[in-house]
Amino acid sequence: MAKPKLALYWAASCGGCDVAVLDTNEKILDIANIADIVFWPIALDFKYHHVEAMEDGSIDLCLFNGAIRSSEQERIAKLLRAKSKVMVAFGACACFGGIPALGNFTNRDDIFQRVYIDIPSNANADGVFPRTLTEVNEGELELPELFDTVSTLAQVVDVEYFVPGCPPPVDIILKVVDLFATGQLPPVGAIIASDKTLCDECERTKEEKKITKIYRPHEIIPDPDRCLLEQGIICCGPATRGGCGLTCIKANMPCRGCFGPPPGVVDQGAALVSAIASIYQGDTDEDVTRMLEEIVDPAGTFYRFGLADSLLKRKRIQKAEKG
Amino acid sequence: MKKISIDPITRLEGHGKIEIFLNDEGDVANAYLQIPELRGFEKFCEGRPVEEMPRIVPRICGV
Repeated sequence: MAKPKLALYWAASCGGCDVAVLDTNEKILDIANIADIVFWPIALDFKYHHVEAMEDGSIDLCLFNGAIRSSEQERIAKLLRAKSKVMVAFGACACFGGIPALGNFTNRDDIFQRVYIDIPSNANADGVFPRTLTEVNEGELELPELFDTVSTLAQVVDVEYFVPGCPPPVDIILKVVDLFATGQLPPVGAIIASDKTLCDECERTKEEKKITKIYRPHEIIPDPDRCLLEQGIICCGPATRGGCGLTCIKANMPCRGCFGPPPGVVDQGAALVSAIASIYQGDTDEDVTRMLEEIVDPAGTFYRFGLADSLLKRKRIQKAEKG
Repeated sequence: MKKISIDPITRLEGHGKIEIFLNDEGDVANAYLQIPELRGFEKFCEGRPVEEMPRIVPRICGV
């Protein structure tokens, strides 16, 4: 019997998810043993035309990492969707937008202005921006269109499963492979991680949560054994799904939410605002004002990995009115 | 002019494609490396706290 076919792709991503697959070390050989990898740009020399030539539904499992922020990424997402029986949003970017979705606080024009004009190291006196079509002496060159708004994979195509994390930890990757290999994949729509919050899994001592000041790192040395939030350090654990292995917490660093919202939470950032507001001690207007000032970058912190998937989705684009 | 596209470039970190133009003799007339990807870290890091940078910018490249 022919081996099942596996494809891996990166869209708006950093390659960390691909490396996480390689972090399975010798188990990568098991993966190669049970499946034929038919597309994996970081590691194998297959081109888009190879995928286009495949029959629809001929790929058994596609692990798609990265968010969608360009027309090329959207095109490949749709292509791989058509060719794949099972599509997995792999990693925080594909699931929730991830770090690239912080771009939803800005827009294409402002990104272009900053990247190609304003940065001091630029040498772009003519103010050239990337164009979707460029005429050169020999012919035409094409580039994908950069979108104003970063989307999650599921906002562009149908997705069967979600594997969160930045990047997904090795034990979860191996679990996905095992579920796939043994034909035990869960019901469609499942998020393959813990069903608890990070706080539920955190081993730090928790007492009554009452904080009167929010600290930035240079203002406090965190107690490694005590709940970070109780110490006044913003930690996204209350509104984040568990299953990550507490990597950041064990390094005495607060959670930033890369596993996305836990079951029952629609909007991770709103849940975090609610959690912090409920433990902050203070009733007067001055107290509230002080708290708001102490949280330096609330939107960028509470929606660090999840802006594209949130109810906000993006900052409103204010285009100059055309007269 | 005949055009050969290498798309995507593989076995490296990042996104790229190469367009090679051939003249009538079949020799390379010109070749272009294009980077079809931009995320905008240069912009969206603005306004974020400096202490968060070590947790944001590693995602420029995770390889």
